[in-house]
Amino acid sequence: MPAELAVRTVDLRKVYGRHVALHGLSLEVRPGEVVGLLGPNGAGKTTTVKILTGLVRATAGEATLFGVPVTDPAARRRIGYLPEHFRFPDWLTGGELLAVHGRLAGMAPAAARGRIPEVLDLVGLSGRGGERIRGYSKGMTQRLGIGQALLHRPDLVLLDEPTSALDPIGRREVRDVIRALRAGGVAVLLNSHLLSEVEMVCDRVAIVDRGRVVRSGRLDELVGGGAEIRVRLDRVDGRALELLAGFGDVVAVEEETVVLAAEGVDPAPELAAALVRAGYDLHALVPVQQSLEDVFVGLVHGSAG
Amino acid sequence: MSLETTVPALRPRPLTITRLSLAEAVSRRLVLAGILLSAVFVGLFWLGFSFLYSRAAEVTGTDAELVFAATLMTVLGLYTVHFLGGFLSMFLAIGAVSSEVDSGTLHAVLARPLARWSWLLQRWLAFAGLAVCYVVVMGGVLLVIARLVAGYEPVDPLRALALLALEALVLLTLGLLGSTIWSTLANGVVVVSLFGLAWLAGIIEFVGDVIGNQAMHTIGVAVSLAVPSDALWRGASYYLQSPLFLAATATQDGGTPFASATPPSGRLVAWSVVYVALLLALAVRRFARRDL
Repeated sequence: MPAELAVRTVDLRKVYGRHVALHGLSLEVRPGEVVGLLGPNGAGKTTTVKILTGLVRATAGEATLFGVPVTDPAARRRIGYLPEHFRFPDWLTGGELLAVHGRLAGMAPAAARGRIPEVLDLVGLSGRGGERIRGYSKGMTQRLGIGQALLHRPDLVLLDEPTSALDPIGRREVRDVIRALRAGGVAVLLNSHLLSEVEMVCDRVAIVDRGRVVRSGRLDELVGGGAEIRVRLDRVDGRALELLAGFGDVVAVEEETVVLAAEGVDPAPELAAALVRAGYDLHALVPVQQSLEDVFVGLVHGSAG
Repeated sequence: MSLETTVPALRPRPLTITRLSLAEAVSRRLVLAGILLSAVFVGLFWLGFSFLYSRAAEVTGTDAELVFAATLMTVLGLYTVHFLGGFLSMFLAIGAVSSEVDSGTLHAVLARPLARWSWLLQRWLAFAGLAVCYVVVMGGVLLVIARLVAGYEPVDPLRALALLALEALVLLTLGLLGSTIWSTLANGVVVVSLFGLAWLAGIIEFVGDVIGNQAMHTIGVAVSLAVPSDALWRGASYYLQSPLFLAATATQDGGTPFASATPPSGRLVAWSVVYVALLLALAVRRFARRDL
């Protein structure tokens, strides 16, 4: 398979009347990669995904799926999509809905028949496929929506707030599904405002604010660099500070606690050994990672003025 | 569970949306309710027709008057079918797009490799099938009853039914176009008003012709161009009458307000076909550009 990007957008703009929804958004998702699109409400996450699925036309810019422009319906052959707000025809049963989507995805009837129970099983709806959607709970409908997106074994799955209607167990199951997709080489673009969700499953995160990507990168790149270590000793003297400074910048000293901004590889084990060798009692050595939330809040607040 | 990605990329299977739309009509009991109510209507028509026809036979006795009575009752029955068929077409169409957009059922469907024009035409096809079936079956059954009870023979029943079917398509397509532009409710108001306007214009044109008022005639023709539904009914009505009745009423100008004494022009039929195609093209164009 050619290493065509699963998603590629360049300077995507979308203007609704006077409101600029996308302000030159550029994004790439490589095959098999799980990318989280993270941002506050109204940042342009849903608009981006709707442009990718052909539901909304971009005002300017480029967007392709596996190299095919999104304005061509053929671009959608290899994707599955879970919309943010959706409803299914409630007079269908869950199984019938999947059959309809199988036909729309061009699956052979026999292949669809075999695949449908598998998908129902995958999203935790085993045995419920014969019931009408009218009788489904919100969570079951959401699961069916995810099943619909995975039905035809797409190479890219676009999930717009997939866990919004789910309880904690359902959320965990969705994360498991996403991990299984990644293990199977499927690319995922996950829209979410839930930092923890993105943090747990994504390889890369693009933080979106006001219609553009304000920061993107691997999770450890985004949250790394600012890693701090909090060290508590029986005493802090000049010799201790000198020793600590060899492992990073001393940021703060409060009584017996020193906060050290470490760089590069995690120095904790060596630091511990060195301190003990020098005769200090080590009471605590806690790596304090800057969380994605800190990065996110910093970026989004910064631009919100 | 297996998630390997090996399925060849394929096109949507043909007519999936048409089948889905028809299945919806069946599942929502629309078809069942339609059939039951239509059966009641047909039964009443049969009773009324038989009763009035036998009364007429007792009272008058001349063949000509009996044919006149049968003509009036048949045209009246088919007039009702034209109204019911018109409303059925409009009601099928007014929310055909807008309600799907509003409810959010469209997003997942249109994110499939399905072109929007295909979705729209497939939906039109399903509703067109239902509407045409309705007027043809209902009109046909009424004509069969008239024939069984009174031996009634209209000028050309097949052309009459074809024109009624064309009228249904005109109203359906008008409603579908509106549904790509307005909300379901607003579209309902617009389309039903246009239907009423066309009906009124038909009467204005008739009166204008009777009293020789050119302005009224022109208004009628203009509205018929914009919404040819009533003109198509009047065309159908010509073929529904008996030749004897037509010959007897030919001395009056233009027949009655509700039935025409002259056959529809070829231009009317051609324009109506173009009208349907044009509105469908406009609907496709409009829908293809819309942000959902």
